[in-house]
Amino acid sequence: MSFELNHKLAARRDPLPTSVTIDPVTADIIRGAFETVCFESATFLGRAASSPIINSSNERNAAIVDANGRLAMGAVGTPHLTFVNQMETRWGLMNQERYDWGPGDVFLGNDPDHGGGHLPDYCVYGPVYDDKGELICIQTLQAHQGDTGGKDPGGFTLEATDIFTEGVIYPCLKLVHRGELRKDVFDFVIRNNRFATFAGDIAAMIGGVQFAVKMLEDLTRKWGSDVVKAAINHSIEHTERRVREEVAKWPDGSYEATVLIDHDTAGTKDIKVHVTCRIAGDQLTVDLTGTDDRQDLVGVWNTFANSRSYVMCQVVASMDPTIVKNEGYFNAVDIFLPEGCIAHPPPNKPAALGSFHPACEITEAVCIALSKVAPERSQPQLYKIGMPNAVIGFHDNGLMWMDQGVDCRSMDVSAVQGIDGWGSCPNALGSLILSEAEDAECRFPILNISREMTTDGGGAGQWRGAPGSLNVKQVLKPTTAMAWMVSADHPLRGVCGGDDAIPYSNHFEVGSPNERKIEHTAQALLPEGSVIAYQHGGGAGFGFPLLRDPESVKEDVLDEYISPGAANDKYGVVLTGSLENYDLAVDWDATETLRKTMGVDDLVRAAAE
Amino acid sequence: MAYRVGIDIGGTFTDFALLKSGPAGSEVVLHKNLSTPQDRSQGVMEGLARLAELEGLEPGEFLARCDAIVHGTTVADNTLIEMNGAVTGLITTEGFRDEIEYRRGFKEDIWDVRLAPPKQITPRRRRLTVPERILHDGSVHVPLDEAAVREACRKLRMQGVESVAISFLFSFVNPAHEKRVKELVTQEMQDAHISVSHEVLPRAPEYDRTSTTIVNAYVGPRVTSYLERLVSRLQEGGYRNQLMVMQASGGVMTKEYIDGAPIRVLASGPAGGVIGSAHAGRAKGHPDLLCVDMGGTSYDMSVVIGGTAPAEAGWNMHHRYLVGVPMVKVETLGAGGGSICHVNNGQLQVGPKSAGSEPGPIAYGRGGTQPTVTDALVMLGILSTEEGFAGGSFRLSRAGVDEAFASIGAEMGTTAEQAAFDCWRVVNANMSQGVRRTTAGKGIDPKDLVMLAYGGNGPAFAAIQAEDLGISRVLVPKASPTFSALGTLVANPMIDEERSHIADADKIDLGKLKALWTELCDRAKKYFTDAQFPLESVIANYQLNMRYPGQNFALTFNVKGNASLHDTSFIDETLGARAIALFNQRHMEEYNHIREHEIPEVTGVRLASHVETPSPAAKAGFTAPRTAAKPALTRRANLGLGFRDTAIYKGIELIPGNEIAGPGIIEETFTTIVVYPGWTARVDDAGDYELVRE
Repeated sequence: MSFELNHKLAARRDPLPTSVTIDPVTADIIRGAFETVCFESATFLGRAASSPIINSSNERNAAIVDANGRLAMGAVGTPHLTFVNQMETRWGLMNQERYDWGPGDVFLGNDPDHGGGHLPDYCVYGPVYDDKGELICIQTLQAHQGDTGGKDPGGFTLEATDIFTEGVIYPCLKLVHRGELRKDVFDFVIRNNRFATFAGDIAAMIGGVQFAVKMLEDLTRKWGSDVVKAAINHSIEHTERRVREEVAKWPDGSYEATVLIDHDTAGTKDIKVHVTCRIAGDQLTVDLTGTDDRQDLVGVWNTFANSRSYVMCQVVASMDPTIVKNEGYFNAVDIFLPEGCIAHPPPNKPAALGSFHPACEITEAVCIALSKVAPERSQPQLYKIGMPNAVIGFHDNGLMWMDQGVDCRSMDVSAVQGIDGWGSCPNALGSLILSEAEDAECRFPILNISREMTTDGGGAGQWRGAPGSLNVKQVLKPTTAMAWMVSADHPLRGVCGGDDAIPYSNHFEVGSPNERKIEHTAQALLPEGSVIAYQHGGGAGFGFPLLRDPESVKEDVLDEYISPGAANDKYGVVLTGSLENYDLAVDWDATETLRKTMGVDDLVRAAAE
Repeated sequence: MAYRVGIDIGGTFTDFALLKSGPAGSEVVLHKNLSTPQDRSQGVMEGLARLAELEGLEPGEFLARCDAIVHGTTVADNTLIEMNGAVTGLITTEGFRDEIEYRRGFKEDIWDVRLAPPKQITPRRRRLTVPERILHDGSVHVPLDEAAVREACRKLRMQGVESVAISFLFSFVNPAHEKRVKELVTQEMQDAHISVSHEVLPRAPEYDRTSTTIVNAYVGPRVTSYLERLVSRLQEGGYRNQLMVMQASGGVMTKEYIDGAPIRVLASGPAGGVIGSAHAGRAKGHPDLLCVDMGGTSYDMSVVIGGTAPAEAGWNMHHRYLVGVPMVKVETLGAGGGSICHVNNGQLQVGPKSAGSEPGPIAYGRGGTQPTVTDALVMLGILSTEEGFAGGSFRLSRAGVDEAFASIGAEMGTTAEQAAFDCWRVVNANMSQGVRRTTAGKGIDPKDLVMLAYGGNGPAFAAIQAEDLGISRVLVPKASPTFSALGTLVANPMIDEERSHIADADKIDLGKLKALWTELCDRAKKYFTDAQFPLESVIANYQLNMRYPGQNFALTFNVKGNASLHDTSFIDETLGARAIALFNQRHMEEYNHIREHEIPEVTGVRLASHVETPSPAAKAGFTAPRTAAKPALTRRANLGLGFRDTAIYKGIELIPGNEIAGPGIIEETFTTIVVYPGWTARVDDAGDYELVRE
């Protein structure tokens, strides 16, 4: 539990020893079979889990790590989880004797200081041995748990200054020994969680791992250990080669970006993430030197493994999506995280909120830096939401309920070159299924009033960001609400000349004498009938707004994504007719004149260069 | 002689299955002719004329003798593929204009930031909101603003809207506002087609219901006008009975019923094939099936358990739009005969791009230049270039095929023949993994299933995939190339509808449940009566949708099966306890656990009613004496063990009792069956094939 340990965990691993030379087709077939095991394992978990966040919203991930601790093959779920799990598995791998590893074992890890992300992301994993007893790989399953047994329900404590406030920490806990559930351990884990559904979830994770381990044992038997190991090596080497080929196409140089978080949860302003992407030939280095390292910051500490993962989420987005996601990415890309900064905290720092910020600002900074070399794929894969309005109350029978505020809405979907921002969130989050008003209102004493996109709520650009939505809801009983607001002073940044997204804002008790804007954090008891309104930042724009096709601007006005005023002021487009009569038309001559006065010729020249 | 005709229209062929019933028994006659994309009803009439000719009858006389014509149509699917449906608008609750655009956050590819959005059926300017709000208990929170509705109609009229979708929050609990808006739209937009969410999909949540209603509005006018044209042609031709139309739920129903929610025909073609498979499997003593249908562009997979293919309502994505009505679950993979083999950065890949039928594979000789799965089968000697292909309509050619695979081989560092074999391996692996993903979603181990293969290309791969999946028995019915048409003949008239009611299972309002089931019975009675089915023949299954608190998706189960319409005697004070027990049993089957200390909630009632109609009797059994079949010739082919002389059998020459030990190839009129090494094929008493792994 130290910086040194983190470096050991992140160190490059060797290929698996094998005497077999494998042909690429066989290697791909085995990779496909392993990926399918991951799919089946994640599906098992989805079917068997008790909590909606897993069985309905899909916040889970399955992956296979090889015997040397490399992300081997197959990953199903959210990318932000995908690139973490090999790190927490490595801690167990490095301590096989200490923890008495053997066939049939299943372990649990969630320790931010031993390779983990934040505490709620439980990683359950099981080793796979061949018939001779050689460790071949490890099946992992990750899922976000609704509680971690810490001070506050849900595991997020705004004022936490250490990890112990946030919940129970498991570096490597054996849940199943040689196929037998350790009931005392299991009961202990269950006891340290507020939610009744947790027992079903953790049982489903164990079952999913065991199910997959058996299939992997069968596949290893069918193909032979050496062939499987050769297939894993081939797949990782192939990915590394392809990543390097992509990097080699980019011009050499150093590309920097700075992104600020408005404040930490204690109100300290302007928390900085600084990224330098250095390209030299086929080598990409992502260096976070210059990132904030003030030790008294609160709530903005992202774990070492998580920071690596969020860097990689954006690197992956900037490359050909057909490249297989595995350790080859980490072999090809050097990630440098200075010790003690908010992206590489000292031991025992809180971790829960860091998974939002600075995690997302790391992603954003990498995106902005790489937009200079890969503009066509520069869309930040993040959520700038701070902490959504979680509302917590008690049913008449005394049981607690929590609406986590993961409602259907539009936020942070930036444009990418040639495509306006669309949908609810960036692609990386596209496997999560968001909550609907009709489901929520049947469960919670809440009334959803509105959740429409806000006109002019997206960053303008040659391709514009999706407008952010204004989610308004009313609590029908006295209810506690928690929030951490960011991205108001420093909203999502535009790319390649595109405008920034609009700022986030949040108001409690709207329309009452107590109406107030939440500037930093809030933890308040709202009286019955209170209205809360959360304006989500939209997506940012890509490219200069004055270069947008005027016809597209007209269509946007008709659809009320943008206002007639913005068409004129931001895009330099003069329209005739009226929105009310649906007879808008572009006045081409007037538009050309207006755009010239706004300096379009300089932008055309700049774009050409 | 009495006739029933099943018709399925595909992209290339229109398939017909004629069931002849007379004193001497029944018989099925199969026929195919080319589809007529400009007016598909024309191809239907041409095929019916051909069937009449085969029966020695004038078309009018033949149609007059038809007891039933049952039809599966792809017109709704084609409308979504071509995106040429009606100009559609939406009227929805104020504050919820954009749910349809959010898609609950779903994106098809989490890695590709360049994924383009689906085309919007209702762009934002045609999504209009009105003040109104109903709460989850059905109470009115905000009254309907009728002036705002009339204003919305004016705006939609100005935009040339032809079809209007109406979807309000909690309309499935209290539809009063939607009903009133329907009246107002009827007054204000007299020519508009109207789709109302509580009629199309009366269930939560709002995105699922609204999306389904919008798609219904979009495809509805085209489906309705097509069916009207076909009915008119059939009536002019002498047909006197109701046209029955295949639904995605696996049942058929009258055109009048379909008119109420035309979306029910979406994806009905594949459902027909699955229903046909279930029928064949049941007859041959194999009620648990993995059905695989490999055609020109895709590989469709579905599972039949206990002889039935259950229809699932909910998260069904079709052509990138969510359609929540009950559908027989069919998963599709882009792996068909036309799937293109290519090298992507050192990786050999097959599909999902397809050469289609025009230009098609290189071997079609129609200008195709990219090697496909069909071309690989030609290279491997599995498909013949000597005999007619696809029913003898043309002959495959090897010209250009060798060169194409040589090019792939050069990139992969191997020979042309090895490259073709590698493509065969890759497509096999893709299909096996697709099957595993299909069965994983259902908690089923493929080892426990019998594979039933159909479609033009399915039988060429069936046994080798079965082996990969641990399956030891494969059925290939002789009628497999026209299985969807046969399925429409087998499918029963069926109405499967639901009404929403949300309540804790231990606090059920029995009066409310009875009223909802009675309403569903009334509807079923009306449509079955209109279709001239005696009410006593209607079999009703009274079902509940339930879930644990916090779950997003409900499970459906029978609380009273095989009953009559309006037989609600099972509703008594014990219903709540029985429902909880039945739900827990169903939850255990589906998810392997129950929550012992939690009370589940009812989310709705459902009524699945049907009428049993005559089906072709599928024969089974192996009473004919076993004899080794004689090969017609040998051909150099690679069936996984390298190239060697391989026995070729002509399907037309095989008789019941014939056995073929692999390796061997059976050439049927519309398909090719490969008996891989280690497998034995037998012809059963019906002339169908059963392949067994030794």
